[in-house]
Amino acid sequence: MVNHLWLKSRFWLDSLSKQQGSHDRQLNEYQHSLTQQFTRSIYDADLMAIDLEMTGLDPINDQIISIGLVPISKGTIPLVRAQHLMISIDGSVGQSAAVHGIVDHQLQDALPIDAAMAWLLRQTQGHILVAHHAPMDMAFIQQSLQNVFGQRVLLPFIDTLMIEKTRYLRQHGQLVEGCVRLGQSRERYHLPVYAGHNALIDAIACAELFLAQVSALGGLKQIKCHELVGLSK
Amino acid sequence: MNASELQPIEQFLQTHAPFDVLCAALIARCAREINIGYYAKASAFVEFDPVNPKLYLVRSGAFEVRDPQGVLVDRVAEGECFGFSTLLSGEKVVNKVAILEDGLVYHIPQALFTELRTQNRQFDTFFTRAFAQRLRNEHKFKAKDLTTTSRITNLMSHTPISIEVNASVQQAAKLMRDHRVSSVLVLQDQQLVGILTDRDLRNRVLAEGLDGLACVDKVMTKQPQTVASNALVFEAMLLMSEHNIHHLPVVDNQQAKGMVTSTDILRSQSSQPLLLIGEIDRQSSIERLIHVSKQIPVLLQNLISADARAEEIGRVLTSVTDALTRRLIVLNQQLLGKAPMAFCWLAFGSQGRQDQVACSDQDNGLLLAHEPDEFAAAYFDKLTHAVCKGLDQCGYIYCPGDIMAQNPQWRLSLQQWQQKFKKWVMSPEPKALMHASIFFDMRAVYGPQTLFDELQDSVMSHTKDNDIFLAGMAGNSLQQTPPLGFFRKFVLERDGSEVKGMDLKHKGSALINDIARVYALSAGIKEVNTAKRIRALMDANIINRKDALNLADAHEFIAHMRLANQGYQATNNLVVSNYLKPQDLSSLLRHQLRDAFKVVHDAQSGLKLKFTRSF
Repeated sequence: MVNHLWLKSRFWLDSLSKQQGSHDRQLNEYQHSLTQQFTRSIYDADLMAIDLEMTGLDPINDQIISIGLVPISKGTIPLVRAQHLMISIDGSVGQSAAVHGIVDHQLQDALPIDAAMAWLLRQTQGHILVAHHAPMDMAFIQQSLQNVFGQRVLLPFIDTLMIEKTRYLRQHGQLVEGCVRLGQSRERYHLPVYAGHNALIDAIACAELFLAQVSALGGLKQIKCHELVGLSK
Repeated sequence: MNASELQPIEQFLQTHAPFDVLCAALIARCAREINIGYYAKASAFVEFDPVNPKLYLVRSGAFEVRDPQGVLVDRVAEGECFGFSTLLSGEKVVNKVAILEDGLVYHIPQALFTELRTQNRQFDTFFTRAFAQRLRNEHKFKAKDLTTTSRITNLMSHTPISIEVNASVQQAAKLMRDHRVSSVLVLQDQQLVGILTDRDLRNRVLAEGLDGLACVDKVMTKQPQTVASNALVFEAMLLMSEHNIHHLPVVDNQQAKGMVTSTDILRSQSSQPLLLIGEIDRQSSIERLIHVSKQIPVLLQNLISADARAEEIGRVLTSVTDALTRRLIVLNQQLLGKAPMAFCWLAFGSQGRQDQVACSDQDNGLLLAHEPDEFAAAYFDKLTHAVCKGLDQCGYIYCPGDIMAQNPQWRLSLQQWQQKFKKWVMSPEPKALMHASIFFDMRAVYGPQTLFDELQDSVMSHTKDNDIFLAGMAGNSLQQTPPLGFFRKFVLERDGSEVKGMDLKHKGSALINDIARVYALSAGIKEVNTAKRIRALMDANIINRKDALNLADAHEFIAHMRLANQGYQATNNLVVSNYLKPQDLSSLLRHQLRDAFKVVHDAQSGLKLKFTRSF
């Protein structure tokens, strides 16, 4: 999608504009650790599939409830390194509980949002994030970083929905409603149907879809990261 | 993290064997340690990591396991595994796994696989079984096509040319001309009643001055010798040379299936055991016979290196012994004159069961049609001494227990033999029975079958359903147990250097022979060959199909290991024995051997339950 030199220069410029507070150093380091990934192949890169569950679709007014993370390493998905974090929220889970199956008492072990964001940065440092419909997840993460650290980060990400959209349009000419949702997309690659959803299972489902997509595009060792990466700030 | 969060993966494990036998905690652990891989058809083959072998559980897609020669070993689809052979054997991956359909595969690390096997016995058995099965398949595919071990069905004509019994010889001759064959089968009501050959048309029609209207019935050979389609080619050849015939109808279940001719067999190559038997039959002096017998060990080595089935090696070698015995009897009768009465030469033990191997000793006896007078007694004394001596010189050493026809104790009339068996059967003493068991594996090598049948029928009539006798026999056979403890010990002493070896004969093959004998005697089954006994017991529903097949497999496997071991000992100039040192085995074969011994163990338990319960 983009040239890796252009990507690197974006990161370099971004770091110049930073002040030198302790948060800034941490965020700078985080950004810097990502720039090395761009020229690597999907097989060799450090990637992390992520899925968020939210109370709604508006990054400003809604909140993140849980985060599922699973790395993609050497073309495999090591579940032993999978993580599932609950986040305590202001007010009740409310309506969305019906969708996510998360009820308030499960959130009792949850971390507050500032600790959760610090945790997220630690867990994902050095990994390019992979998500289905990534811009939505990125928007929530950026908003939370803004709320917690007072600034956003330049985040490279890979969006499996975008990959699927491009592929679907090339094959069919136009989109059909729902055709690039996670479940429908997986079906096209004959991936199994997973009953029940939570952030972790969806992150795993997304990681599997991603491996199937890249295999279909030409192979994990052939495709480079920067060919698929988008940027969010 | 809470375990149930990987629920879809746990659910998949819970519903697929052998993971379904694991407890919830192990399932959760297993799900947690899985590494999910994606395999695209475009990459053709699964790449194996030689440093970290693992178990591959297919979640979706399809795969094919092929050996280095490209022969298909296994097809693997959703819920099935590959890679376990390497984990179990510790040997490097040699098989290739082709990707037939894109799919997800769960990788389970070796350490976890090992732990699951230790924690759950059923889980362990599942893989060792699957492994043994796969090994057998590999073996089946690899089995060499040896003429002596190939079957009639491979070279017979499958469309038999036949004619009704009331047809004329001219019609028969026309039929033979039109189909360009040298013989026809003669049928009456679909049943084979005779055979008509070129030679019959010449000798019994033309030479006798009969015309073309003569009825086939008058000139055919009635009730001809036949073979079954699954008989060994080699057995057909024996029949032909024994009866001086060139055509054998192939009959299965009283239905004529085809014809096999000497030309068919010649075309399928000449073979060594047959040449040897042919040579034996041609020798006109005992000295020459002894000379020819020197080839027997070479024959055994050839059969072993050709990887023939152990059961077939036993049958081939026993056929050579039988031929040698018969030739010795014939040659000595030429010296001593015609026998004063009908008699049978009885083979006991391994020769009786047709499972002879290298360095067998003699176990034989003589069955006389009736009480001998002084002259007859002296005649048979001379004959049996000469034959036993000849066998000894041919490499079949004198029986250390003196169970030989030259011993007057084992040279008896029909009536005396019947009494002898009756005594063993009706008032069984455990110790006496112990020595008597080999007599129950008897076969007539020479002499009229009817005489032998009379003896065998009377033995069977006493043993069948005779609870006390059977309990005694079963009790004796349970004195020895398979060396399962040995494997535990072996596992403890990793290199096994302290271990002497396992007696594959007395702790393996002999136990299976015992089990099959007790069941066969209880049911009045006349077969003496262990594999045939097991088959007959299965057909008669006395042993269930699964157990019977397992037992037959174990029998073949242990016998095969014993032969392979002896082949190895012989080529390395070691003392040839029944002892196998586990350290000489790959861990792969050790697994299989332990599995075979487990089958023997289970069969012994079954025997104990069935026959010794009430005593």
